[in-house]
Amino acid sequence: MRLIQTILVGAAVAGLAAAVSAQDVAIRNATIITISNGDIENGTIVVRGGKIAAVGKNVSIPAGIRTIDGTGKFVMPGIIDAHSHAALENGINEGSESVTPEVQVQLKNDDPVIQRALAGGVTAALLLHGSANTIGGQARVIKMRWGQPAESMYFKGAYRIVKFALGENVTRAGGDISAGEERRYPTSRMGVEHTLRYWFTRAKEYDKEWQDYRAVAKTNPNAIPPRRDLRLEALTDILHGDLKVHAHSYRGDEILMLIRIADEMGFKINTFQHALEAYKVADEIAKHGASVSTFADNWAYKVEAWDAIPYNMALLTERGVVVSVNSDSDKRIRRLYQEAAIGVRYGNMPVNEALKMVTLNPAKQLGVDKMVGTLEVGKDGDIAVLSAHPFAPESAVEYTIVDGKVLFDRSEANTLRKAAAKTPGGN
Amino acid sequence: MARGILSGLAVALFAASAQAQVDPGPGRPPGVVLADYALTNVRIVAAPGRVIERGTVLIRNGRIAAVGPQVSIPAGVVTMDLPGHSVFPGLIDAATTVGVPSAYRPIPTVTSESGRGGRGGGGRGGNIPGLVPTVNQGASITQSFPAPEVDAGAEAADLFEPTPDQLKNLRAGGVTAVGLVFDSGLFPGRVGAALTGGPDESRLALRSGAGQEIAFGTRRGGYPSTGIGAVAFIRQSLLDAQYEARLDKAFKAGTPGARPTNEPFTRALVPVATNDMPAWFVASPERAINRVGEITKELGIRSPVIVGAQEGWRVIPSLKAMGATAVVSLNWPNPQTVTGATFKNPIGGGNVTVSDPAAMQEVRANAASLIKAGVPVVLASFGGESGATFRERIRASIEAGLSPDDALRATTVAPAALLGITAAAGTIDVGKLANLVVVSGNDLFANVPIKHVFVEGRLY
Repeated sequence: MRLIQTILVGAAVAGLAAAVSAQDVAIRNATIITISNGDIENGTIVVRGGKIAAVGKNVSIPAGIRTIDGTGKFVMPGIIDAHSHAALENGINEGSESVTPEVQVQLKNDDPVIQRALAGGVTAALLLHGSANTIGGQARVIKMRWGQPAESMYFKGAYRIVKFALGENVTRAGGDISAGEERRYPTSRMGVEHTLRYWFTRAKEYDKEWQDYRAVAKTNPNAIPPRRDLRLEALTDILHGDLKVHAHSYRGDEILMLIRIADEMGFKINTFQHALEAYKVADEIAKHGASVSTFADNWAYKVEAWDAIPYNMALLTERGVVVSVNSDSDKRIRRLYQEAAIGVRYGNMPVNEALKMVTLNPAKQLGVDKMVGTLEVGKDGDIAVLSAHPFAPESAVEYTIVDGKVLFDRSEANTLRKAAAKTPGGN
Repeated sequence: MARGILSGLAVALFAASAQAQVDPGPGRPPGVVLADYALTNVRIVAAPGRVIERGTVLIRNGRIAAVGPQVSIPAGVVTMDLPGHSVFPGLIDAATTVGVPSAYRPIPTVTSESGRGGRGGGGRGGNIPGLVPTVNQGASITQSFPAPEVDAGAEAADLFEPTPDQLKNLRAGGVTAVGLVFDSGLFPGRVGAALTGGPDESRLALRSGAGQEIAFGTRRGGYPSTGIGAVAFIRQSLLDAQYEARLDKAFKAGTPGARPTNEPFTRALVPVATNDMPAWFVASPERAINRVGEITKELGIRSPVIVGAQEGWRVIPSLKAMGATAVVSLNWPNPQTVTGATFKNPIGGGNVTVSDPAAMQEVRANAASLIKAGVPVVLASFGGESGATFRERIRASIEAGLSPDDALRATTVAPAALLGITAAAGTIDVGKLANLVVVSGNDLFANVPIKHVFVEGRLY
């Protein structure tokens, strides 16, 4: 109904206004949480051609574009999940070996979990390899462009990211073996440290081989290049900073271990994932230049999470660490804005500082903060519209907009749900 | 008509006894007797679009000796008068696993100290992928066997061991030749072609090395253990083969320092990696086909063959960009599982029912849509039943929009060319093997039983 109306209105004015695209939308008379420039009461935001064209109090809406009445509603940047395994297929962990950075996760673009994430206001996510390996596979940063082919959902310009993992998941991964099989190395934290040192030593040798070859090839075109090894090539990319490390970690001691290995080998950790004891080593993390993506809570859900505290986010932020709060779950991905609110309750984070943990901060960790994470002119039209302030308990996402396209509309979703309930086999 | 066939049979019996002393022909084992046949007053579809409304096909010694409106019939030839019937080139099912062992067939006893692929921090290091030391039971000799899922040099044609019933079932659908592929694995071996019968059923293979099969399977007990690992493994293996070719060339040219590895696995992949042998990728869903596009682009592999291609209609630009030939499986996917079914109603989990006519039509019109878009297509039963089911599904594809001529082309001339057996099969032309299908009426794919099938001149 609404769609037909919009089309009719669009057709009527098409002759008058500049061509209206499918990536144009406006929201008027809403409270706009810009993240970068404070909140705007009774504000308007206009997206044209998928980019934010105007945001402010006195903004006129070009004729013909779909306009959402934002009276009483709150508009915020699309939520970004810096740790998810949603919508992946053909394996999360290439667990046959402990070092597999040549592997890359595969996006299942038609997984309904994407639509459910949109229902939680999520417009972008980091889809990571699992934590079975010391050095796991490469991730995908995606935009939640529901309905598009997988390749069209990749977030262009985002960091290339690889998963590292420390602690129990890695050492335990070798434990599931049948009779006659060997346990996979490493099975201890000592072994994890050695594995890292061993592989980066090899990567540096490999890097030198190629540098020597390139030097020789300048004068001898017949010089034979070294064998290309996709695994060592990926590790070399880490050494050169072209492939960013997101390291699954829990305990303070293992975080320090990884920082020391990285310093020794000459690479950087971009983000410590989970990092529930990061508050114990906040200064060291800040000094290394790493950021943290964590759970809001999850105290003692496993042995290595025994010392987790909900003050982690606030304490790290006070020490100057860029912090995001992530889902790591197909369920939690629908209510990340509530997870961020925990930072206000535990640690008295300013409200918009807490909201940064699901917007600008994860955008920084994924290398997309120039494009998303705040509501500013020129940035992507990735927006969540909520019925109340995101931290209000009754708040719900009403619209989620990606590149100016409304990809979630709660009223339409309710209609679909009723239709599905009537269909045999529907759920 | 019935009388004509009956008298033909009587003559056949006579001829068989009369010819018992005849030399069976060069290369044919002695003792095997072939009757020669003349199919007269029959409508001849020699190739798609090449029809003789009434003529004769003369079969001698397993081959087509003459074809045309006027053919003189030598003495001693069994005449089958077939007015009201049509004769077509025998069908070719371009990709079937019938009679081919699984890529995951059991390997001989594996010792516990196999050191399989270096599961430890050392990685697969210098191990030859796929070689697993095994114990030869009953003897103390330790041998290395390639794991079948990575036995890149294996020939499907060598391993083809169909049962008499399997051959009978294939022929029941008019299938006289087959493309032989493995079910899965990673590099399970090479594609071959074989007949489904003939005077000597112990000698069915037509050719080997028609293509290198590449599938996105896993390794048992080692790397890669997932589909995501398979992509990396395939890329690395093909890169290694390209590097091997380069080293080998330099070595043979006397370049100091050059030395190929001479690993059997890598060596077996050199032809496919250097475009000397077609790459046959097993890929059916949209995303799998697009992944083949990425891999072939990265590695410079030209004109890949996509086996399965069940969602081909969703990725036509991608297929065209990689210059692919689609070996379209007629084992249609369930429309509920087709990529994007959930887009229609994410809340309801994608409520597309199996009987949804529009969704079924989309799936069944795959071959027609690809041909319309200019993608080279051959048809295959891959993943499903060949024989009569294959023929039924060709008919259903025609009902979904495939032209009968295109259907015939995609099951005769085109697969013969793809498999490299054009000299033997695909059309009714002098010199080719007498692989023929006879039906009453004009339509090979009509819902009527097949009257006769000839494979290499042998009447079934």
